[in-house]
Amino acid sequence: MARTFEGKIEQIDESRWRIPRITQPGMRVDGVIYASSALIADVITGGGPAQVANVATLPGIVVASMAMPDIHWGYGFPIGGVAATDIAEGGVVSPGGVGYDINCGVRLLRTDLSAPDVRTHVKGLVDQLFRDIPVGVGVGGPFRFAGSDMRRLLGEGARFLVARGMADETDLAATESGGCLAGADPDAVSPRAMERGADQCGTLGAGNHFIEVQHVDEVYDETAAEALGLQAGQVTVMIHTGSRGLGHQVCSDHIKSLRSAPGKYGISLPDRQLVCAPVDSCEGRRYLGAMRAAANFAWANRQLLAGQVRKSLRRFFGGRGRKVKLAQIYDVAHNIAKIEMHEVGGRRRELCVHRKGATRAFGPGHPELPEHLRPLGQPVLIPGDMGTASYVLLGTARAMAATFGSTCHGAGRVMSRKQAIQKARGRSIDKELASVGVIARARGRTGLAEEQPDAYKDVDAVVDCVAAAGISKKVARLKPMGVIKG
Amino acid sequence: MARHCETFDHTADVGLDARGDSLGELLEALAEGLCDVVCPRRGVRGADACTVTATAEDVEALAVDFLSEVLWAVQTDHFAVASVRVIAASETSVQAELTGEAYDPDRHEILTEVKAVTYHELRVAREGGGWTGRVILDL
Repeated sequence: MARTFEGKIEQIDESRWRIPRITQPGMRVDGVIYASSALIADVITGGGPAQVANVATLPGIVVASMAMPDIHWGYGFPIGGVAATDIAEGGVVSPGGVGYDINCGVRLLRTDLSAPDVRTHVKGLVDQLFRDIPVGVGVGGPFRFAGSDMRRLLGEGARFLVARGMADETDLAATESGGCLAGADPDAVSPRAMERGADQCGTLGAGNHFIEVQHVDEVYDETAAEALGLQAGQVTVMIHTGSRGLGHQVCSDHIKSLRSAPGKYGISLPDRQLVCAPVDSCEGRRYLGAMRAAANFAWANRQLLAGQVRKSLRRFFGGRGRKVKLAQIYDVAHNIAKIEMHEVGGRRRELCVHRKGATRAFGPGHPELPEHLRPLGQPVLIPGDMGTASYVLLGTARAMAATFGSTCHGAGRVMSRKQAIQKARGRSIDKELASVGVIARARGRTGLAEEQPDAYKDVDAVVDCVAAAGISKKVARLKPMGVIKG
Repeated sequence: MARHCETFDHTADVGLDARGDSLGELLEALAEGLCDVVCPRRGVRGADACTVTATAEDVEALAVDFLSEVLWAVQTDHFAVASVRVIAASETSVQAELTGEAYDPDRHEILTEVKAVTYHELRVAREGGGWTGRVILDL
């Protein structure tokens, strides 16, 4: 259903394309899309560029409305979109620039196991994870947070779990924003949102969310890999999920309450899904307070899931006389809006940076990075599809200068869910995956079909593009061995 | 032209295209289409009923709010819907009755999770003596 972009799009260099601001009335800045010559055809037919142009109309937007090479058609913002607005210049915050799955993100754990240790046990291990971890639509978990506990969790994020023995300082240091965004406002989260999330902290959910057992297939930067505790052949576990029903409800509630804001603030929008309010307004502050609370819920969710993964692996290998150690490499958000300082036009400005299906990629030396990561740059975790690979990258100085410290977030869909299901008819996706060495378990009937490798762009091409553009540095590639899904 | 709803493709999501002789019929068709995306109505018994209402400033926002209420009933209250009947509808308010039963995992199938009903390319309009509507769901 996506439609081909018919506006002007011109090549800037080998990895960037421009949609000039004259393309569409109301554009305040150019659109800039990161894509190689090989990827641009899918981008143009994928419906994303028109949305890049729409986002360029938002009040206060600076530099450009950007999109990463995994861009595809979203609702309002494109998936893969990055847009920063200058708060002092009336810059807006838009819930559509974050999306419904607030702080959907990725956590990567490293183990002291090697691929041969695991290879013969993958099926048993995946079954163990599938038994132990709540996955699937509407499936609740063993934890329930209500009343003052829920309010504290929304305010404190993963840090709330430290006193309960379910998180420690090393986990928090290896999590974007320490697993807690300051300025969360539990009062801006509706009772409905809290009800929807009450038993969902510590659950994986459905859709494209997964937990994957992987091994390090290739190392591109030995020094950086060593500093992150990674080496070829090592087994890792990747967790991809977000803020579950609580985040979905926060976004729905606040889009509804912001419906009247464009009229009130004299903002004209090309798409109702781009509804927004100035960051410095009561509506903007209230949304940001609720969004931060939902982001904190998501970090607590991935923290609890990581705890369950640790227990599962220890139980599984403990029964085979093997102690397993797991440590967190990093945890990133890829659907979020943050207030950050960036240099624009030669001066430091306070910006509201929307990353919608895009990952923060702060370069070496950034003061927000913990001490052990500061010399390296921020780890960026790119989940691939089940049949190919995921990546560990690092943020760069170039990303700070060019993309507000942002990069891609995954492979990016090329096939709709319906097309994917049709294409899977008569096939057995789990058997196809097993034939390439990946054991997959899914709760739903259509989950594996919808998320089959063919439904996504080539993740290698996406990552090569951000590396060629200099906005990320390749550290290692991770190949899947087993995966559980909703 | 009877009421009718079909799904259409959107890269990461799914859309509903519907029509009805009246606004009420259109909203019934959209709501039943939404239910079929989450938990298909076939085989659901009409043993129980609940009422949903919505009010909004315009007819498009009304469709989103109404469908969000139906989604809440199905996904959070775990009420499997057999049919939707609009009792009263104007361009700014709607009251409807959902007939169905409590979700039973042995008899009902949950196909997918809908995160939200979006405003993206939303359209609800009078057309050719009836009403048509298009809504995209975020999956």
